[in-house]
Amino acid sequence: MTADIHMRAVSAEAMSAIDGLMGNYVAALDWQDWNGWLGSFADSCHYSVTSRQNAESNLPLCYMIDDCRARIEDRVKFITEVWASTIEPYRTRHVTQRLSVSRMDDRNYRVLSNVVVMFTQNNDPSGVLVTGYYDDVVTVDGGTALFASKTVYIDGTPTRYLAYPL
Amino acid sequence: MKGQCDMATTAGMEEYETVRARIAGQFTTEKDIPKAIFSDPAIYREELKRIFRGHYWHMVAHRAELPEANSFKTFWLGETPVLLTRGEDETLRAFVNTCTHRGTLLEQRATGCSKEFECPYHRWLFSNKGNFIGGPGRRDFRSDFVAEDYALREFQVDEIAGLIFCSAAPQVGLEEWLGQCAGHVRDVMLDDGRLTLLGYQNAIFNANWKTYFDNDFYHAPLLHMGFRLLSWHGGQGEVRVEEPVGHFSVGYESSPYEDNGFLADPSLVEMKGTDARARVVALRPAYVLTKHLDTISVRFVRPLGVDRTQVTYAFFGHESDSPEYQAHRVRQASNLLGPSGMITIEDAAVFNRQQMTSRDGGMSRFVVGVDRPAAEARQNDENGNTAGWAYYREVMGFDR
Ligand code: FES
Ligand SMILES: [Fe+2]
Repeated sequence: MTADIHMRAVSAEAMSAIDGLMGNYVAALDWQDWNGWLGSFADSCHYSVTSRQNAESNLPLCYMIDDCRARIEDRVKFITEVWASTIEPYRTRHVTQRLSVSRMDDRNYRVLSNVVVMFTQNNDPSGVLVTGYYDDVVTVDGGTALFASKTVYIDGTPTRYLAYPL
Repeated sequence: MKGQCDMATTAGMEEYETVRARIAGQFTTEKDIPKAIFSDPAIYREELKRIFRGHYWHMVAHRAELPEANSFKTFWLGETPVLLTRGEDETLRAFVNTCTHRGTLLEQRATGCSKEFECPYHRWLFSNKGNFIGGPGRRDFRSDFVAEDYALREFQVDEIAGLIFCSAAPQVGLEEWLGQCAGHVRDVMLDDGRLTLLGYQNAIFNANWKTYFDNDFYHAPLLHMGFRLLSWHGGQGEVRVEEPVGHFSVGYESSPYEDNGFLADPSLVEMKGTDARARVVALRPAYVLTKHLDTISVRFVRPLGVDRTQVTYAFFGHESDSPEYQAHRVRQASNLLGPSGMITIEDAAVFNRQQMTSRDGGMSRFVVGVDRPAAEARQNDENGNTAGWAYYREVMGFDR
């Protein structure tokens, strides 16, 4: 991960659209608004969660790969319709920190952020689920921003098995 | 959690024999397991000795993880650190990953390539054949010092179709240990074992290693909603239960997925290869191998105490795969059969929810199909479990 800082090339309007997207994304996950999660992706999009271990060894396996919008829809369907009664549910609290925004072309920006995800099961004490970072491509169109791609790199082994996207 | 640890220390002072005798009265058949077996720390410590440092063969790696001469991999066998090396002579060797001087962990990287291993403490050097090569200040070593006495402690190593096993004190060879399940192991490894590593998924379950194993390889399809919604039916499986150890395997041909409209993107569950063999192999004490659709996976297991278990799901492709086919394997492997897989995620909830009740003084009971002899086992019987428990009772001294 290179945290090149090229923010000067980014307009205030684009920056605010990107920050708005990040806020909506995290809120959708933490309030389990799965359609809101789906809605933060562009029509043509890619979402994946992998480990630094795999990435650094050039191993392609991930924890989740949704390489098109239909796959993201299917993930929402599994969470809401298939797993609801079997998995051990938990709540999350995502804390993100934007590290850099760099302009790729007229509409697309590469955005790097750190992320720490806390989780709470039942009313038990909260714990760290994962730490890691996002490597995103965000498409900005006027005042709206959507993820064209979002890759989550997690630093180590998740504290519990992941049921929800990060 | 803290309370449990304290309890563990206190109970740990009891001698195994006392604990064994107390539990043995309840543990009279392999069909009824006292839950203390999953939660008593004295039992756990004795298992490390009799099972993980005993005569069992343990599945620890695949050759694809040690891709060239002088590759190595480190891992834990129970609570023993192990260094597995592939020599220039292509021989695989496994050692206790401990410097024979004062016991410093010798190699800390997970994998790599090296002919020699240097201990950071007093700079003793060992070859990847386990020999003590030298160390500074040798003139001042004790008078009875003989280099041979300071070689790394070695395990027996053997392999089948590229899959590597090791054992501290084997009583029989690997092939004999696996028995009739060896054929299904070869099937999962695509016969020639020329697999390529696609990567790992890691999970830590809040469960005893036996709770993990008992519920990972074998359960009626009732648990997995995904299987039903995708209208997958295993078909008539060929079931093997290997006695006395209790390995279990089932093989069948995957039936093609018929699009029932449930998935927006059914390409995820398509079989694009030509090899329709589906297999689930469960090798005592704790290892699972699966081949489903186009995924090939082995699960390495490391107990982390009486009620925590780390499982590493390694997924593979084959050397002959085209880039497109490999991408399909990666996509399936990443989404279907790991700890967060669309098909398998419910397993974890069962491991954890069984472990939560393991201190209630009750029993875990096997019921379905257990009166049938092992040779007549059916796919959804629980006698794939009981055969292994009968052997466990012997090994742990509960049959007296
Ligand atoms: S402990 Fe390894 S050289 Fe002394
Ligand atoms: Fe399962």
